Amino acid sequence: MKNVILVCSLLICSLVAANPVDTGHARASLITNIENSTQESFYVGVRLEMQDGWHTYWENPGDSGGAFEATWTKDEGIIIENVEWPTPVTIPYPPLMTYGYEGDVIFPFKVFRAIDSDLSIVSLKFSFLICADICIPEEAELSIDLSTAKPSLMLEQTIENLPINFLDTKISASDETITIQFQAPKVFSEAYFFPREDGLFNYTSAQDLNQIDGKNFEITIPTLASEIESFSGILRLDEKGYQVKETLEIPTPTMSLFSAIIFALLGGLILNLMPCVFPVISLKVLSFVSMGGDDHAKIRNHALTFVSGVLFTFLLIASILIFIRSSGAMIGWGFQLQSPEIVGVLTLIMLGIGLVLLTDINMAKGLTTIGSNVQSRNDYSGSFFTGVLAVVVASPCTAPFMGAAIGYALLQPSFATLPIFLALGLGFSGPYLALALKPQWISALPKPGAWMEILKQFFAFPMMATALWLMWVFMLQTSGDALIQLLILSLALAISVWMIATFNNAFKWIGLTLTVVAGIQFFTSIPANQIDLDQGASNSGWDVSLESDLQAQNQAYLINFTAAWCITCQANEKTSLGRASVKKYLVDNNIKYIKADWTNRDENITKSLSEYGRSGVPLYVFWKPGMPSSKILPAVLTEAILIRGMQ
Amino acid sequence: MKFFSVTALLLLSLDALSAEIKLNDPKLNEPAPNFAEQNSYGLNIQLSDFIGQPVILEWTNHECPYVARHYGENNMQAVQKAAQEKGFIWLSIISSTPGDQGHVLGDQANELTVSRNASPTHVLLDESGKIGMQYGAKTTPHMFMIDATGVLRYKGAIDDIGRGMKFFDASFNDSVNYISTQLDSVLMSSELKISNTVAYGCSVKYDY
Repeated sequence: MKNVILVCSLLICSLVAANPVDTGHARASLITNIENSTQESFYVGVRLEMQDGWHTYWENPGDSGGAFEATWTKDEGIIIENVEWPTPVTIPYPPLMTYGYEGDVIFPFKVFRAIDSDLSIVSLKFSFLICADICIPEEAELSIDLSTAKPSLMLEQTIENLPINFLDTKISASDETITIQFQAPKVFSEAYFFPREDGLFNYTSAQDLNQIDGKNFEITIPTLASEIESFSGILRLDEKGYQVKETLEIPTPTMSLFSAIIFALLGGLILNLMPCVFPVISLKVLSFVSMGGDDHAKIRNHALTFVSGVLFTFLLIASILIFIRSSGAMIGWGFQLQSPEIVGVLTLIMLGIGLVLLTDINMAKGLTTIGSNVQSRNDYSGSFFTGVLAVVVASPCTAPFMGAAIGYALLQPSFATLPIFLALGLGFSGPYLALALKPQWISALPKPGAWMEILKQFFAFPMMATALWLMWVFMLQTSGDALIQLLILSLALAISVWMIATFNNAFKWIGLTLTVVAGIQFFTSIPANQIDLDQGASNSGWDVSLESDLQAQNQAYLINFTAAWCITCQANEKTSLGRASVKKYLVDNNIKYIKADWTNRDENITKSLSEYGRSGVPLYVFWKPGMPSSKILPAVLTEAILIRGMQ
Repeated sequence: MKFFSVTALLLLSLDALSAEIKLNDPKLNEPAPNFAEQNSYGLNIQLSDFIGQPVILEWTNHECPYVARHYGENNMQAVQKAAQEKGFIWLSIISSTPGDQGHVLGDQANELTVSRNASPTHVLLDESGKIGMQYGAKTTPHMFMIDATGVLRYKGAIDDIGRGMKFFDASFNDSVNYISTQLDSVLMSSELKISNTVAYGCSVKYDY
């Protein structure tokens, strides 16, 4: 009687839920670990109990065989992710080697569901190759009612044992092998590396394990392909698997020193047209005009002095960068803008220049004499400091045009870094070098006159616009309170400029004092914000291994490396990333969108950037299952470029 | 004592036998290794017999589900015909060990050729697995192309569908066949665009 009931219940079971199913050489069933009906995320698992001597395969089956296919039928509110592969075993069929599972195995699939959806039946068509010395494709139609299913302890254990952790590894490659150096997280006796990508490694040849010392080991795997750029897989230490994902530092000079120098030259030249630079530069040219077209020697000398100011500043910045880098800190280009003090100072410089242009201080010299009190016509220090100033105001705008060249420069030893920065400076000062060579060209410009005044005043506005943008960056870096302080300081600066321009003697000095006092008060108060900032930075949550984790989970992603002070980044967010169509595309295609905000200094992000050969933002990185490695999307995006890039 | 030494010797020789199963990896764009084997009619066939003509080697095992689908849907036969129309010699090689899946005698091999409407120039019965190991044949099917000067030009899969259960759902029409699309390049004895791919299918049933 008992038996009859048992048979009946089994029958009912198989009729209603078709679970488990005998496929010929295995028994397949669908299980879950859902514990209550309010869970939004849980697992379902396909359990395959194979007959003795039969096996099925891992995602990389090795020399023969193949992975299973799973086709789900389910309600709309339920999302079932790709399988999370358990650690495989080696199944040698000499001379071949295959990777897979024997005996009783469970394949877990993560499930998400909309909380307002009802738990219902999910069904699965599971087709797989099951092999002993011969292979047979078998198939099972399985289903499980999530509303009544009991949580399976076995599934829970499988999930616990999934190889999700990454090992800290170092890679070295020879012509025919790749060696993975790792620190063993536990004592083990046997190790085997299962390569995930096909066609890179020789599966049949033995892998050599060596103990270097203590917990440090290395395993050497024979390769097939001559140039492996990246690979991933599972390193099995006895029963436990660990994820390994590596990009080999093949000397892939995506850019040679020569082309980096050419790019730097061009980038420098283009910089002259940036909104924050153009006014300063134009004023320099105007000052040449006002010198008259006749005194060629003087124009040449001024131009050369200006150029030396530019070059001096570029080399100074390069030296600082090299110095900071050599002391071990992770910084990249744009690092100047990651400090709110410097952004504050730049804001005031931009505003100051704008005010000077409007209020007509020392019209005859204009900005050429900033940084100098000497009013003589032969004052070359004025030209020199205009050069310095031009570079300083240009620094926020450098990223989009010079990102690649500077990124390359920063990854090079210093002897290569300096020439690139030098080339940048030369490109930047190209027009003036030309002028120094051919001073007579100045006469091609219109004669000096009232137009110069109007133009000069007009140039105040791009400068102020730049100041406005920097204020916004400053606000994001600090707080609304700090911004108000900066605005108060700006007001003080405006008053003092006005006083200097309007009054003589006494008031002039009052104005200057006012600015200085406000300035001291302001910059001594910033450090308080700075502390918060640093804490914020360390908590930014950027995880260097995020990409490898997502790839291990077969989750497509798009990472936006951005910063508030990066104009290109902001433009891209307006024109493409922020668009509804793009958002919809991301959702429809289950692409995880991640923002890595580098507005403030963040060593982890810097590290990730440098892995892509970049030292600055923007950088857009995309990956989806099936791609051997992630790809870099163009720095300047449109909707079309972005979506095409992800197809 | 004697018994033990004999056993030890036996074990050693067994060990030596199994150690002999070693797959070579012939180099592309270099002369293909020569071989000699009986065909399904008992004639001795050598690769060097065909100097002056391009040759395709196809490792096969009629019981392997991958091979069965390639033949069942007339895909392999179509590739075979296309190649032969361009003057290729087609050698189907069976490296299954006696008693294992896919092993056939000459008559059975000829019956299979007729029943499947196939047209290989020869079916070679490589029972010992010698040719298979020489060429590093891992799967059925596993394809090799040799040009008229005897240089190996291609080794790998028959098409880009690849391994796994997806093979059984994929359409041959949507796939890129590495053999039929590269026949002309082999005729011109030039290096192929795609010369080395990962073969997929069942394992070759060597004697292990």
